[in-house]
Amino acid sequence: MSKALHRFALFVACATFFLIIAGANVTSRDAGLSTSDWPKSNGQWFPKMVGNLFWEHGHRMVATAVGVLTILLAVLIQFQERRAWVKRLAWGALGAVIAQGLLGGLTVKLSLPLIVSAAHATLAQLFFLITVSLAVFTSRSWTEAEPGPGTAEGPPLRAMCVLSLAVILTQLVLGATLRHSATWDHDLPVPLLVAHICGAAVVTLVMATTVGFVLLRHRGETYLARPAMIAASVLVVQLALGLAAYITRMRSPYDPQPLNPMIAVTVAHVAGGALVFAATIVLTLRVFSVTRAAEGYRRGLPLPVR
Amino acid sequence: MLSKNVRLWLGLLAVISLLSLASSCSKGGDDEGNDNSGPSEGKPYTAKGNEGTISGVVSYNGAAPENKKIDTSADPACTSKSPDLKTEEWVIKDGKLANTFVYIKDGTLADGSKISTYTFPTPGTAVTLDQNGCHYQPHVSGVMTKQQITIKNSDPTTHNIHFTPKNNPDWNQSQPNGAPTLNHTLNAAEVSPSLVQVKCNQHPWMKSYVGVLKHPFFAVTAEDGSFTIKGVPPGKYTVVAWHEGGATGTEKNMEVTVPASGAGKADFSFGANALGQPGSFQILPAIEIPLTHNH
Repeated sequence: MSKALHRFALFVACATFFLIIAGANVTSRDAGLSTSDWPKSNGQWFPKMVGNLFWEHGHRMVATAVGVLTILLAVLIQFQERRAWVKRLAWGALGAVIAQGLLGGLTVKLSLPLIVSAAHATLAQLFFLITVSLAVFTSRSWTEAEPGPGTAEGPPLRAMCVLSLAVILTQLVLGATLRHSATWDHDLPVPLLVAHICGAAVVTLVMATTVGFVLLRHRGETYLARPAMIAASVLVVQLALGLAAYITRMRSPYDPQPLNPMIAVTVAHVAGGALVFAATIVLTLRVFSVTRAAEGYRRGLPLPVR
Repeated sequence: MLSKNVRLWLGLLAVISLLSLASSCSKGGDDEGNDNSGPSEGKPYTAKGNEGTISGVVSYNGAAPENKKIDTSADPACTSKSPDLKTEEWVIKDGKLANTFVYIKDGTLADGSKISTYTFPTPGTAVTLDQNGCHYQPHVSGVMTKQQITIKNSDPTTHNIHFTPKNNPDWNQSQPNGAPTLNHTLNAAEVSPSLVQVKCNQHPWMKSYVGVLKHPFFAVTAEDGSFTIKGVPPGKYTVVAWHEGGATGTEKNMEVTVPASGAGKADFSFGANALGQPGSFQILPAIEIPLTHNH
């Protein structure tokens, strides 16, 4: 297992997180249509980066960089990995980033239809899921995971983790749809807003249960306890950011232009959502890793080579 | 059964085809190939020589709200050309409100026929919308359906002009400084609940409103709040005054009678509680928290 490959995969995941922040800025600032063409902006590859074009074209440049990094990662993995499923996942990452770029272009050319913009925001999170997963799969801790003292009852915890991921992803889709359904100078649609608030309650409930399970069974195991604690902590911050985002967003239609703190808070809320998702991905994968090792241990099998 | 690679390439091809289609749809659009012969439904109205006018004044009750300062620092070209740019929502002089769009919503002519059953010729002259000093001139305007709107960029920076209608197709075009004028037409009437909002996503404070009607009976109030709608057939009409603010603006209605060769009077007033001047902050429907009002 190459340490350099893992570090590079981690770097790509971090770059993807930065790309999500750049994209959130585009939405909060209503910059998505600051140029009518794509992939060039105002007919140029390197336009004058003034006004909201800084955010829209900047987002495109960051996305291009992430695309190049993903190509490099996919190629490196083909050479350095022996696990076929990791190789396939790397190609999946490349396919996702290409599809994401095309969706970005499509939404600009079609003047940001809600379904395409929401799909673009959702695929961003799914691509992030893949890059975070690749970072986990290429880590030494993944291949060296051992069953801990509290891993006897595996499946319910796995199910809770998968449920957590599912409700977080649903909440991210709801949030993306809410954000793209009204620009800063219009009121948010109440049904979607209520759905997103209810989603927050569901995510909190499911995550509290999952983290509670993890900490009860694996308190002494940093490998699992750490991502669980990170996910729970970021979720608390995220809930506060959600309330702040709501208050600032409700006020924004009366502002002459998108202003801080609305921009900063809503962007932070998007970033917080991605971080909760990432921490839960890591937790889920590690739970699967440890509980599978435990199953093999119970059957008297040698630790599996993953 | 297709192999995985073939399916992947087919998928990519489909997305690229969609992009190409979207690209071709977004080019020109209403600029080219449109029939500019005017409304095609109804019978043409023939002037009888006894047409009158509707005139009046739009007032603002209460202390004039202050327009908000705009932060243009994101584009130095805007800062240098308009260092003290403010919003143009409330242009009030001596209690009179400018930039209010007044129009005939509906009505009955003296002979009992509805005005909506008539067609009126589309003016051959274009309405010009200029981007000058990183704001639109005029701020509020009116056109007839299919009347040409000519868009100029008089600024030393690039703008994008983005029509965000509800009844007409969305339209967005970049216009660099020094670029030729753009032309656009709107084919469907659109005045309620809001006029068509035109905005620049590059400079998100830039907003303009265009009222689109199938008839020529509309006007925008001048700085002294006055307006005159000319050439109105004798009859009884519902006249609406619309002013921007909030999500869709505020409408005021009035019944006005226009005698043969005479004048109908329609004075409107907007108040401090009009949309866009929030006295409270609403948390979902029905829960309100008072806020201090400091702008």
